[in-house]
Amino acid sequence: MKTTWEEKSIMRRLLLLAASAALALSACGGGGGGGGTFDPNSVSGTVVLSGWQASPEEGQALNAALAGFKAKYPKITVDYEPIAGDYPTAMVAKFSAHQPPDVFYVDSGVAPDWIKQGVLQSLDDWSSSRGFDTSQFYPGYLNAFKGTDGKTYGYPKDGNTLAMAYNPDMLSAAGVQPPTTYDEMMTVGAALKSKGMVAYSMSTTLDRILAFVYGDGGSLLSSDKKSDAIDSKFKDAVSFYLNLFKMGYAKSPSQLGVDWNGKALGEKKAAIIFEGGWLDSYMKGTFPTVPYKWVAIPKGAAGQATLGFTVSYSIGKDSAHKDAAWLLLTYLTGPDGMKLWTQGGVANPSRKDVPAPAGKDVLVSSASFAHPWSFIPGFSKVSDAFNNSFEAAVEGKGSVDDVVSKTKSALDQQLNQP
Amino acid sequence: MLGIGKARGSLGTERAQEALAGYGFIGIPMALFLIFNIGALFYSAYISLWRWEILGPTEFLGFRNYAFILRDEVFHTAIKNSIYYTIIVVPIQMAIGLTLAVVVNQIWRGRSFFRAAFYFPAIASSAAITVLYIYIMAPDGLFNHLLELIGINPLGFHNQGNWLGNSDTALNSIIGLNAWTTSGTMMLFYLGQLTAIPTEAYEAARVDGAGPWTSFWRITFPLLRPAHYLVATVSVIGALQMFDQAYIAGGSGGDPAYALMTMVLYLYNSAFRQFEFGYAAAVGIVLFVIIFTATLVQRRLFGTSDWSSAR
Repeated sequence: MKTTWEEKSIMRRLLLLAASAALALSACGGGGGGGGTFDPNSVSGTVVLSGWQASPEEGQALNAALAGFKAKYPKITVDYEPIAGDYPTAMVAKFSAHQPPDVFYVDSGVAPDWIKQGVLQSLDDWSSSRGFDTSQFYPGYLNAFKGTDGKTYGYPKDGNTLAMAYNPDMLSAAGVQPPTTYDEMMTVGAALKSKGMVAYSMSTTLDRILAFVYGDGGSLLSSDKKSDAIDSKFKDAVSFYLNLFKMGYAKSPSQLGVDWNGKALGEKKAAIIFEGGWLDSYMKGTFPTVPYKWVAIPKGAAGQATLGFTVSYSIGKDSAHKDAAWLLLTYLTGPDGMKLWTQGGVANPSRKDVPAPAGKDVLVSSASFAHPWSFIPGFSKVSDAFNNSFEAAVEGKGSVDDVVSKTKSALDQQLNQP
Repeated sequence: MLGIGKARGSLGTERAQEALAGYGFIGIPMALFLIFNIGALFYSAYISLWRWEILGPTEFLGFRNYAFILRDEVFHTAIKNSIYYTIIVVPIQMAIGLTLAVVVNQIWRGRSFFRAAFYFPAIASSAAITVLYIYIMAPDGLFNHLLELIGINPLGFHNQGNWLGNSDTALNSIIGLNAWTTSGTMMLFYLGQLTAIPTEAYEAARVDGAGPWTSFWRITFPLLRPAHYLVATVSVIGALQMFDQAYIAGGSGGDPAYALMTMVLYLYNSAFRQFEFGYAAAVGIVLFVIIFTATLVQRRLFGTSDWSSAR
């Protein structure tokens, strides 16, 4: 901890930000576009593209896609400005100054907040007038960027699902096959425990557990996202997940002394984890000799369900180059651009008409039963409430009823906010 | 007569010029201070009365943000955690800082080495040290291995050796981290004051037959009063503003089970995860009131009437 006078406190940063927001408030530009005749070949100028970059391979894949765009639209220059560090914070400063990049990443988790705050451009008018087919996107990804007004504020640039990764050697040592249902998860857990192994490394967070809630036919929100839908099925699924911990079949990464489930699989501290495509590059780089296989997530009482995590390309409401931005957006999320972006394996396509990269079939096909990780504005408070009460339950300091009631009250509080 | 008057006149001009230059030098930092510290404080008080989102104010709320804060259970937890943390960590920091200062003050060989070594954690990046600490305190980390070496089985604890991952021990572990990293700074404050204690006092005490222990409690400790005040104030303000270690060790959610939710982390979440800047500004004002009150109370308890002697 630094002494206070030398610390640039969070509060000061916040105030500066708010001050810049007030200064910029006077000129509120933006507005539609579209309509009339739109000739893509006549559009020229420079578009600023921003996002984050997780690895050098991602940079190469994006460059390949941007080269494809340049070949198709030579009059448009793309100025790629990746943002390092805290992405939402950096973007909020740009939004409040009314100077966002023209095209940028929006994480599905933050999309409802940004849509509500009116900083994203809705795309529906253009997709109909300019003819962009959105039917090829998996709904589990596309719906993450729909506002409560039913309009779409971004197209998924790629997508990831939760699937089950397991160590085949550990399972065969216990003489079991990978589980295909929630019931089998219990028997597999018992079999590994009897051999002194931990079957599952499982996160104690809603962004994993909700997949099992959907599998049991439960939900958090009604389909119009206007009211909560937490019922006995939600509770049953949470009980099942908690039971895996109580029985000693599952441990959390922190209980296993690792920072995430992938490391538990790599260090053979657990045989089975539920993660997405990001595991592959990690295992290849850190544990190249540890064997693992992907299968779809087990089926619950209501069938198979998983969570879809995705990031969109969106256009800033205050973008000054919306036509060029639209062309870049639709190229990168269209079949050609997405193929160039995903074929090297850095990401999985969010479109049905783009083939799955090698080894990614399970993760790509799981998109057909994925529910988007995107809810309502202020949702981070709800997931915090769930996560913290579930952790307490794992420690034996709370019950499933506490988890349900705390989640429900946090959710209702956000729903009732004007 | 004339000569004297002239001399007076030129002296006056010189003084006026000197004063002007002085005000000029003070003026720039003062203006920055007034705009970015005092001005920002008033501006955030203004913002806190509004629903203020990414693009600016949308609705005047009066004191409804404050009412909401006071009702929010998570904020209650954050206040409880921050106050518990402060009450425990400040005396520890002061005790270790004072001990180190007294020890370093009495050794002559390698004095600068020890001073630098004790101060080192304070200059290292707190993010880097926290990440290091997470590894040290992990279930299979160095700390548990050391426990095993001295014959204690970490799995025997109810947290199973998961110090930062268990809600009972997470905050206490962060207290340990900060006691370690901040004591060096406190040592420096104490060292400055220690050297100002006149040696005659000790000599007189020795003549009267006082041992080192009595000298410490009867002379050193009371004469360090200005340093106690400074160190206590700085530690309390720093402790109430604890953010980075909690954020790195427990994530933005204050995991596990809100054990690491602090007031500033709550403020950060309001602004940069919920994008409610008016609400976050109100949290900032509440935090300001708490810290301001704590400082006033400390001034009453330890402070002298003369602020400058505290330096």
